Amino acid sequence: MSEEERNILKRIGQSTVEFIYGMAGHDMTRYALKTRGSMEHLFILITMGDLLGVPILPPYYSLRLLPYVVPQISTWKRRMLREKDLTDALA
Amino acid sequence: MNAIIVLLLAALGIGVGYFLYARNIDRNIVQPNPDKATPAKMYMDGVDFTPASRNVLFGYQFKSVAALAPLTGPVIAVQWGWLPALLWILLGVFFIGWAQDYGAMIMGVRREGETMGALSYKLISPRARTILMIFIYFYLLLIMGAFGNAVGKVLMTNPKVPFGIIAVVLMGMLAGQMTYKYRQDIILTSIVTVVLTFVGIWISTLPFMSNLFSAIYGLPESPKILLGNTQAQVIGTLLMIIFCYLGAVLPIWSFAQPVNYVSFWIVTLGMVGGVIGLLIWHPGMGDFPAVTQFTTASGPLWPMLFVTIACGAISGWHSLVSTSGTARQLEKETDALPVGGGAMFLEGAFAIIAFLTATVAFGGWQGYQDAGGAGAALAVFAGGLAQFLNRIGVPLVFGTAYGSVFLTIMAVTIMQLVVRFMRVASAELIGDSVPVMKNIHVGSIVALLLTLLFVWVIPWLAIWGAFGGANQLMAGLALLLIALWLMSEGRSHNWAFYPAIFMIVTDLAALLYIAYTNLLVKLPAAATGQAALAAALVGIICLVLVVAALVLIWDGWQAIQRTRAVKPAKA
Repeated sequence: MSEEERNILKRIGQSTVEFIYGMAGHDMTRYALKTRGSMEHLFILITMGDLLGVPILPPYYSLRLLPYVVPQISTWKRRMLREKDLTDALA
Repeated sequence: MNAIIVLLLAALGIGVGYFLYARNIDRNIVQPNPDKATPAKMYMDGVDFTPASRNVLFGYQFKSVAALAPLTGPVIAVQWGWLPALLWILLGVFFIGWAQDYGAMIMGVRREGETMGALSYKLISPRARTILMIFIYFYLLLIMGAFGNAVGKVLMTNPKVPFGIIAVVLMGMLAGQMTYKYRQDIILTSIVTVVLTFVGIWISTLPFMSNLFSAIYGLPESPKILLGNTQAQVIGTLLMIIFCYLGAVLPIWSFAQPVNYVSFWIVTLGMVGGVIGLLIWHPGMGDFPAVTQFTTASGPLWPMLFVTIACGAISGWHSLVSTSGTARQLEKETDALPVGGGAMFLEGAFAIIAFLTATVAFGGWQGYQDAGGAGAALAVFAGGLAQFLNRIGVPLVFGTAYGSVFLTIMAVTIMQLVVRFMRVASAELIGDSVPVMKNIHVGSIVALLLTLLFVWVIPWLAIWGAFGGANQLMAGLALLLIALWLMSEGRSHNWAFYPAIFMIVTDLAALLYIAYTNLLVKLPAAATGQAALAAALVGIICLVLVVAALVLIWDGWQAIQRTRAVKPAKA
């Protein structure tokens, strides 16, 4: 069997494994990631609510935590401010 | 006609549909750009927007769209003969089904990951979103009624089935604990739980277990104890309701997801085994007629055939999954065709297998009628699958119980998620005025009580037609939205617009026909209060759906006029 044929077989095998994972486990992985992401965003809302005009924690503590939260602020703001409706809950 | 010829025809239809028609529209009209950032990349937040590989999403999309309907619809529809059913599956998926799934997905990607609600708000009118929500709520209620009817009043009444379902649930919960609490290897978890589930299904077929459930059900002559339902149907429905309640209120990692995971293996292995058995056996249709008569117990061929076979040809549910779920995970625009279109063509193949369980597994028309016919479509599918599995050495008794468990878990895994959604919907819609609806137990119980009402009161074929009509009309509205989006971008829109018109006209006709037969024929002739209630419920819901759809269509038409007046430059 040539190298090219082996590569083709390898790709088919890999695609099949990914397809089965997509049917069997992707939902579970996605849900775990979503749960973690939601918890992180909730934490940022509590600590950095000032950025959205929702002051919850005194600014002193917010500023102490700010360096740790900076990498996530843009995605957090985007998600918090995005308009949602019930069809969001369908997937 | 021989089963192999049907499979070859299906393969040809799918091949030509995907590689010529769909790919031509994808390349020449939609023109996806693999280098353009998708919402999954642009807005990645680790929650709603996360990129995933094409193969993973293909599996995810297929699993999300394939439920009970593609398996049940074809078995009911062959009552008009095998030819109309086969033609609708092949032509429906060829011209309409993939176009909706793919169109909704690529529209979601190009419109920054917006859902159907947001898209209807922006492309049609502000009130369109509210009407769509009402439409979706009733549609979900009909899913619960149709699937619940199938499970509670048919599948669970077989005393060889309930312990198999209990085994699936217990092994699903064990899989959840092993994965999340004890952090066991997923391969070990899968082998242990799937093997034990099969052992459970086998135990459910043993005489001592089936005798136990026969005694509980009051068989062999199960007495009628509530609203004309037998003791077996009442207990079977209550078991299903308990399952859905647990799925709706328990943490999703501990119940709904691991049960779905174990169910996936049970269903996949059954389907693969069935297809292998079918290929080995490859029987013919015998005396099964190509066309029986224009009007059957389900109504006239047009429009009723087109709502009886729903998901196997086209389904509105897919547009919701494609926009809210998959469009937000696509890594490249070019993945939309293999994921959205590919999954729909595969589901068409799924429907063809179901079609063959009815037409070839029992040797012909008389065998189909003896197995129960359209009125017992689920028993026909389970029996047909058992016949196929028998060709690879699976005993018929085990195969029939396995087929019933297979169908039951396909239905209830969707139902538990629908109850979750209905709970959220009722909390959002009326939670402020009725605060108790925000309680998860109250919201779930209300949704399940409505389900019980539908299941115990309305006959199976009546609710299946209404569910199919709502489902297909949802698809027609999604296609209208896709056509509107294509117009707004100055692209050719006929491939979505004409299917939208066909689906909307057909489904409105179907819903009006169901409303007419229920409100003006069955209701005046109803001999009991229950029959009158069933006819009134189905008729009124169909009318509500028709009115909601007409308002959406009117607003959609106005939006089309606005879009035409603007005449945008080709994107």
